[in-house]
Amino acid sequence: MKVSLSWLKDYVNIEMDVQDLASALTMAGLEVESVTNSFDYLENVVVGRIIEISPHPNAEKLKLCRVDAGKSPIQVVCGAPNIVENILAPLALPGTVFPDGSILQTCDIRGKISEGMLCSERELELGDDKSGVMILSGTPETGTKISSALSLSDFVLEIGLTPNRSDCLSVLGIAREIAAIQKLKIKYPVKQQPDRNKDIQEYTSVRIEAPEHCPRYAAALVTDITVSESPFWLRKRLISIGQRPINNIVDITNFVMMECGQPLHAFDFNLLAENRIVVRTAEKGETFVTLDQKERILDPEMLMICDGKKPVAIAGVMGGLNSEIANSTKRVLIESAYFNPLNIRKTSKKLGLSTEASYRFERGIDPLGTVNALVRAALLMTKIGNGKLTGGVIDENPLIHDLVPIELNISETGRLLGIEMDRENIKSCLESIEFDVENADADTLKVTPPSFRVDITRSVDLMEEAARLYGYNNIPTTMPFIHAETTQPLKTLVLRDKIKNILTGLSFMEAINYSFINESSCDQLRLLSNDTKRKLLHVLNPINEEQSVMRTSLIPGLLETMRRNLSQQVRNLKLFETGNIFLSRGQETLPEEVEMVAGLWTGDRYNSAWYAKETGCDFYDIKGIVEGLISDLNINNSCFTKMPSELCRYTKQGHTAQVTIEGRPIGLVGELHPEVLRNFDLKQRAFIFELNCNTLLDLTNKAKKSKLLPKFPFTTRDITVIISKDIEAMSILEKLNSFGEKLIENTQLFDIFEGDPVPPGKKSVSVRIIYRSPEKTLEDNEVNGIHIDITNRLLGAFNASLPA
Amino acid sequence: MENTIDQICTEALREIETAKSKDSLNAISVKYLGRKGIVTQFLRNISKLPSEERPKAGEKANEIKKILEKAFEETANRLYSQSPEAHDFVDVSLPGRSALPGSLHPITQITRQICDIFIRMGFDIAEGPEIESDYYNFEALNIPKYHPARDMQDTFYVSDNIVLRTHTSPVQVRVMEKCKPPVKVIAPGKVYRSDSDITHTPMFHQVEGLMVGENISFGNLKGILTNFVHLMFDEKTSLRFRPSFFPFTEPSAEVDMLCVMCRGNGCRICSQTGWIEVLGAGMVHPAVFENVGYDTTKITGFAFGIGIERITMLKYGIDDTRKFFENDFRFLRQF
Ligand SMILES: [Zn+2]
Repeated sequence: MKVSLSWLKDYVNIEMDVQDLASALTMAGLEVESVTNSFDYLENVVVGRIIEISPHPNAEKLKLCRVDAGKSPIQVVCGAPNIVENILAPLALPGTVFPDGSILQTCDIRGKISEGMLCSERELELGDDKSGVMILSGTPETGTKISSALSLSDFVLEIGLTPNRSDCLSVLGIAREIAAIQKLKIKYPVKQQPDRNKDIQEYTSVRIEAPEHCPRYAAALVTDITVSESPFWLRKRLISIGQRPINNIVDITNFVMMECGQPLHAFDFNLLAENRIVVRTAEKGETFVTLDQKERILDPEMLMICDGKKPVAIAGVMGGLNSEIANSTKRVLIESAYFNPLNIRKTSKKLGLSTEASYRFERGIDPLGTVNALVRAALLMTKIGNGKLTGGVIDENPLIHDLVPIELNISETGRLLGIEMDRENIKSCLESIEFDVENADADTLKVTPPSFRVDITRSVDLMEEAARLYGYNNIPTTMPFIHAETTQPLKTLVLRDKIKNILTGLSFMEAINYSFINESSCDQLRLLSNDTKRKLLHVLNPINEEQSVMRTSLIPGLLETMRRNLSQQVRNLKLFETGNIFLSRGQETLPEEVEMVAGLWTGDRYNSAWYAKETGCDFYDIKGIVEGLISDLNINNSCFTKMPSELCRYTKQGHTAQVTIEGRPIGLVGELHPEVLRNFDLKQRAFIFELNCNTLLDLTNKAKKSKLLPKFPFTTRDITVIISKDIEAMSILEKLNSFGEKLIENTQLFDIFEGDPVPPGKKSVSVRIIYRSPEKTLEDNEVNGIHIDITNRLLGAFNASLPA
Repeated sequence: MENTIDQICTEALREIETAKSKDSLNAISVKYLGRKGIVTQFLRNISKLPSEERPKAGEKANEIKKILEKAFEETANRLYSQSPEAHDFVDVSLPGRSALPGSLHPITQITRQICDIFIRMGFDIAEGPEIESDYYNFEALNIPKYHPARDMQDTFYVSDNIVLRTHTSPVQVRVMEKCKPPVKVIAPGKVYRSDSDITHTPMFHQVEGLMVGENISFGNLKGILTNFVHLMFDEKTSLRFRPSFFPFTEPSAEVDMLCVMCRGNGCRICSQTGWIEVLGAGMVHPAVFENVGYDTTKITGFAFGIGIERITMLKYGIDDTRKFFENDFRFLRQF
């Protein structure tokens, strides 16, 4: 909502400086977003002196003027009849934006360059005179800005109104707040009674067929009107708040709406069939052409203003082209109605059409303000449009609005706010904004809010008003007294924090990507058509294609992050992210939200340094991270198995492990599929892991238990066996453990070797076995016996041989 | 006898002094102080002396043993300090073998700081779904369908009744549905609004706060938030509460913090106002309590919502909120 200081001063004295006013309004809840000078558009208009006038060689009516604009003289082509040498006039320089929106540029006029424009009052919206250039009196210096030469100054406040304050969608509404702040009374515009004339009832009638949508409809009729341009004062008011003047009739309806918040509409009475108004809902499929020349398709919930035959306006939203005020209009029917806010909002939303009128109706206008605004507009039309006002007004009001008093408990108010407020305190706050306050009993006030405060319906609304006017910052700052009981910390949160700490400890960097992804990511990840990750939840109104569905995997986000970093020449990345994925159960139901953790390692294991050569990371690096994470989460029976090829869609077959714990799959670790790399435009290998936190949570609940430390020393024996290359090395350890030999404390794989002298198709695997007894120090011969036995069983189990 | 031991001593000291290496010094040490060494022998033979001579001789011999031990140690140290081993060194300027830890995203770091402060004030943490029904995101919070207040937040829709939550406030409702008062809880999390420019990203993070009980007042809200800001920034960071409107609180307030950059003098960060809007708050609207079945005659409460990106930007001097989600390694590395 924009409002100019000079307009406000029509209704309230303002002695404060404009910045103080702005901050006082802000602290009263009307946030002033900006304060600008309404003459800012004159920035490039300066005082010019015509030094010399000569004829234009190619146009009889035009003259060439040499104009002194403070610096070196410039040439201006001018057609004004009143120019003579040595006069001072406003000179618009290139770049000037006129109130009508046009921008002045240096231009060629009939073969002569014009480097500026000498302006009339009207052209600069400084007055009505458009007969010739505006001649400046006095002796202002050439080149001075016209605004300072004429001491033009008026501030415009832009106020960001919250949706509850519909009463402030008017200059009077804001003036009321300023009056309350300054503890002054507001001066309402003088209400003149219209001259008694032939009664309006003889000309027209209003019938409301949908009272629930239109509880009140008032109308006045002005005849013998002359449609023309509005006078300067009226244009200036509208321009100051960013509205374009149209003609006197339309400008008056806009002016009154801006003044008191009641939207009005003016119909050309002669264009209303049967000269009457019917308020009804639209018929299904009915169409209507609005003032903006667009055809609108209506539905039966939309309220229409009709004449005897057809719709002439979409109620509260926009008038129709068929009854528009034209220069030929002689009789005007002014509408001032109260429409149901919900109905107007629905219509406006459905049509995608929001207007100054609909904006006010949907937030709720003053239900008792219709007739006042109507009379104000009608009288202005008689004055400005030379019209004659028909006697009386029509005021159809099938549903009467009652002012309902609200009880306000004084001590409850104090309890809610945390400050003792006495009766007089509250009373004076509320009375300053025109609330009617009576004493009900010792601790209760009976408060009747004015009709324009449609937002005040319960006692807490009154408490807020009292607090607001008392000043939030005058309420003491205190600490609460509250019971100290507390609950167990959220397990999901504890796990998430732990995971983040572990991974950062493992030198991974946390990333946060958007929860939306591009639908094409599924194809980029080579997902099969029945993959659960294709259960996409669509955003109906995404910002763009890249963010149109909710992610079903954290991998696309990490890959996008990798791509952005590569493009910044950062090629060594260790990243992880935790967050929800969303698996759709249909657009009409809440999706399944699953928390995941995913990581990506690309580039080097070691950066090249004085102690190491640059070495690329590989599968075992990322696997080590996952193992570290899992073991740090106090989970010790994780299992990595070869991922079946049909499940390796975005990772490379043969280079991917499925991670299971106690038989439950929790995710995967592997190398990214080369095709996926290409799809995401990535030029280097990358290794990823992806784990389900919800499942991990189920598995981490084991309590930690301390074990006794061994008392006796251990002995080790190594075995090297030659086995087929296809056998997974870990199966040797599993086999060893399966023997159930009690003296084996631990087994470690310490070497894998292929190539000469190991025969082709085979590999040698070396294992260290640690023997220890809990009861005694083991003797060599005892261990040797067991070891030989175990070696033989192992050789048998794998059809293996000892090295040559 | 005494002479002899003195002679031994003189001779030993002379030999020690001329020792050229650690090895030759060791040999001398063995020669005199070893198990079969001269001094050891001498000590062993004391028992053969007449009993009246024994104490004096023993005392003398032990004294000489100490002198020699000291001489050996001093010489050993001297020889070591002259050896190449003593002059070996590492280049301490070379970087150590890399063990750089990763780092938490700045949003995570600040979220943790915020949560820690409220936990110390006795709040619990709650979470809720990021995709919400219209009921929890709007209706239960006193924002009916077609209410103009819906324009305050640009909502992402999944269907007519399902939205990406526009704030963490739905968690308030879910918590109150489950727990009887008193309630004191904060709810951090991701929220979504259809808005994208230098100060807005379509996804961002909020912390919702809620305290409900008997006699919880607006003054208490001011107390908790002031304490929070003092701990998050510093004691000199004052707060300003100004009236505002949220459908689910009344009275409602926007809370401005004294600009951390200019301390109220006006700068680019605070658009010359000296104040920075950091959060919205208010007393829980009775309609919300009615929706969750709380007795509005007995209890009152306050709620607030803090924008985490905003706080993080102020803490770390970040000027573009989109940077948080670009995850440029060089950016993340800084925190
Ligand atoms: Zn500042």
